Amino acid sequence: MVPVWDLAVRVLHWSLVLTVAAAWLTRHSPGRWHEWIGYATLAIVAARAVWGFLGRGYALFAQFVRAPGETADYARTVLAGREARYIGHNPLGGWMVVALLAMVALVGFTGWLYTTDRYWGVPWVEELHETLSDILFAFVGLHIIGVAFTSRKHRENLVAAMLHGRKREGEPPPR
Amino acid sequence: MSRKISAAVLAATAIAIASVQVAGATGLATCDSGSPDGWQPQEKLAAMLKEKGWEIRNIKVDGGCYEVYAIDDKGERAEAYFHPVTLERVETASE
Repeated sequence: MVPVWDLAVRVLHWSLVLTVAAAWLTRHSPGRWHEWIGYATLAIVAARAVWGFLGRGYALFAQFVRAPGETADYARTVLAGREARYIGHNPLGGWMVVALLAMVALVGFTGWLYTTDRYWGVPWVEELHETLSDILFAFVGLHIIGVAFTSRKHRENLVAAMLHGRKREGEPPPR
Repeated sequence: MSRKISAAVLAATAIAIASVQVAGATGLATCDSGSPDGWQPQEKLAAMLKEKGWEIRNIKVDGGCYEVYAIDDKGERAEAYFHPVTLERVETASE
C-alpha cells in the first residue's frame, strides 16, 4: 500500500460531504443554520482550491486535471472495458472533482446572494440556487456511481482509500 | 466489497428520492385556511403591506399561508407569514 490522499484532502473531502448534507437537511429550517453551514461549505471549497495549487502530489490539480483529448481517450477505454488503473484520480474522476467544487461554489455564491438586501426574496435567485443544487446532487450521484464502478473494476475500495489515504501500489497498465 | 458499495449507492439514492418527495411545505408555519377559493387575493396583501412601507419581493403559498419575502418598513429583510383568509400575521417557528 502506498500513501495517496494526504490528511488535508481526506479531511476536506469528508467535511464537504458533511456540510453539503447538513445544508440540504437544513434548507427549510428556521433560523440561520442553513446560512452558516453554507459559509462553512464555501470555506472548505476555498481551502481545497488553495491546496490544489499549493499542496503536494496527488492533491494537486496539475496532477489530475487532464487535457480534454486525454480525458476523452480515457472515457473510450472505459466504454471498451479496458481502462487503466490510476493511483490518483483518473481523468474522469479528476474532472468530477473540479465540477463538484465549482458547483458547490456556485450554489454557495447564489445562496449568499439571496441574503443580500438587493437580491433578498428575488424569485430568480432562489430558483437559480435550487436548480444549481439539484445539478450538484446529480453530480454527487454520478460521483458515487463512478467510485462504485471503479472500485469494482479494479477490485479496490476507493471509499476506504479516501478514509485511510492508502492504495495498492501501481501495476503495469493492462496491454 | 462491491456489493456493500452498491447497497450504499442504492440507500443514498432512496434517501435522496424520499427527501425530494417530502419537500413542499417547509413547516415554518401552517394556516388552517381551507380551500384557496375562500382566500383573499395576494394583491390585496401586497397592497396592504406596501401601505405600511414594505417593499414586496415575492409572495408564495406555504403550509396554507401566504409567505412574503420583503424589505420591511425598517429596511430589514423579512420573511413573514400571513393567513390568506384574515390577512393577519402568523408567527413562524422562530425569529
